[in-house]
Amino acid sequence: MTVRVLQLVTVVGGLTAWETAARAGWVDALFVPAPSAVARALLRTAYVLSVGLGVSAGVAIGSVRLLREVLSPYVVALYGIPKILVLPWIVLLLGYGTSPAIFYGALHGLFPVMVLVMGAVRDVDRTLVTVARSLGATTWQLYWKVLLPAIVPSVLAGMRLGIVFCLLGVLVVEMFAGVRGMGHILGSFANGFQAPELFAATGLVSAASIAIVLALDHLNDRLSHWRG
Amino acid sequence: MKVALVRLGLLAALLAAWEVAGRAANPLLAVPPSAVIPALRDLLLLRSYPALSASLLLTVREIGAAYALAVGAGLGCGFMLGMHRVLGRAWGPMIAALYAVPAVVWYPSLMLFFGLDAASKIAFGFLLGFFPITLAVLAGIRQVNPQLVVVARAYGAGAVAVFVRVMLPSMLFTLVGGLRTGLALCVIGVIVGEILGSKAGMGALINHAYGLLRTGDYVALVLVTLVLVVGSDVLASLLERRARAWTE
Repeated sequence: MTVRVLQLVTVVGGLTAWETAARAGWVDALFVPAPSAVARALLRTAYVLSVGLGVSAGVAIGSVRLLREVLSPYVVALYGIPKILVLPWIVLLLGYGTSPAIFYGALHGLFPVMVLVMGAVRDVDRTLVTVARSLGATTWQLYWKVLLPAIVPSVLAGMRLGIVFCLLGVLVVEMFAGVRGMGHILGSFANGFQAPELFAATGLVSAASIAIVLALDHLNDRLSHWRG
Repeated sequence: MKVALVRLGLLAALLAAWEVAGRAANPLLAVPPSAVIPALRDLLLLRSYPALSASLLLTVREIGAAYALAVGAGLGCGFMLGMHRVLGRAWGPMIAALYAVPAVVWYPSLMLFFGLDAASKIAFGFLLGFFPITLAVLAGIRQVNPQLVVVARAYGAGAVAVFVRVMLPSMLFTLVGGLRTGLALCVIGVIVGEILGSKAGMGALINHAYGLLRTGDYVALVLVTLVLVVGSDVLASLLERRARAWTE
């Protein structure tokens, strides 16, 4: 527990220091953007979209037998194929800028979440469902009281996996067709042979993503304690 | 049977809706399936892109090189960390943490190091494939029951015999799964690398078709690349099944 607290304090402290440094202008905000800017630019919308859609679609597909049998091969296939192949098409349809980044990031994060949640819903203990039913639970209660608590670990695992995929998607779009954002910054540093700036930016994005994942892991631990 | 029919029906309905909507909207951007078929024919007859076979070969070779490196380094690194307690405890968590970084952040640096040619794609494919293989070896070694190793040693088995007879069978399942994931990621890495910046290979052709708004050719090229992707995974799954049969 102490170890965890210490780790959390370190991560939060580090991020705060970095944020303050960037805001106060001690470091050049051009190539050391504040973490909040990174996070904001990268993925807020895309991540919310992919987790929201992934969980709801996963629950829907996982709990309705016909949907599951018909759709699961498609979902797995879409999860498996490299999404980069449709990226040029997305850019053609949505243009340059933020919207393809959000769309592609969400697309990237959606399937891992969906596949995990689908599996979790399918594997919910049938006895629990039968017992709840025979004790007169309504469908709503069944979803809320039995299904949802049972799939919490998978949703969290999906969120953890999803964020990496989402980040990856957003960064790829920004490199491919971005006009701003960290991916674009990385790409232009590489094109300009600005190695020191490039390494600084690479390090920052890596540190930020490790911090995000560690924070989610921590949340994961806390929630599994809470579930018992 | 019924399910399969529904599946096919759904796919057909989707394609039909796409066809109708694509024609109604902008056929150039929406690429209805009917526009793809002639483009695919031209592509396969080497009319639209004579460089297709050379590009495909280059991409396959890049994938092969990246995968060979990833398997070599991943197995080596995994066994080193798994067998050596101190190294494993020191570096294992660091490798797991690095795996959490979206790998594409390294790509610009790799492009800077290795240039626009095949080397940067091989390096990126290697980077993507390396982590799952290493982590699979580590997970596999953890699955080995230490008592079995001790008993085998006590009955006089040498290091090689312990490895082949005891460790390998009990970790093979995880190991082969990791090797399969690694291959899939190597393929993705090479393709991502080619699309983000290259002079030759399937990604370069895709970028060329996309840049010139030859959308029919673009979709045809994507389909050909998908065959490569799916083919490599089918191959890996066959090998996985063989390995599974061997352990049982």
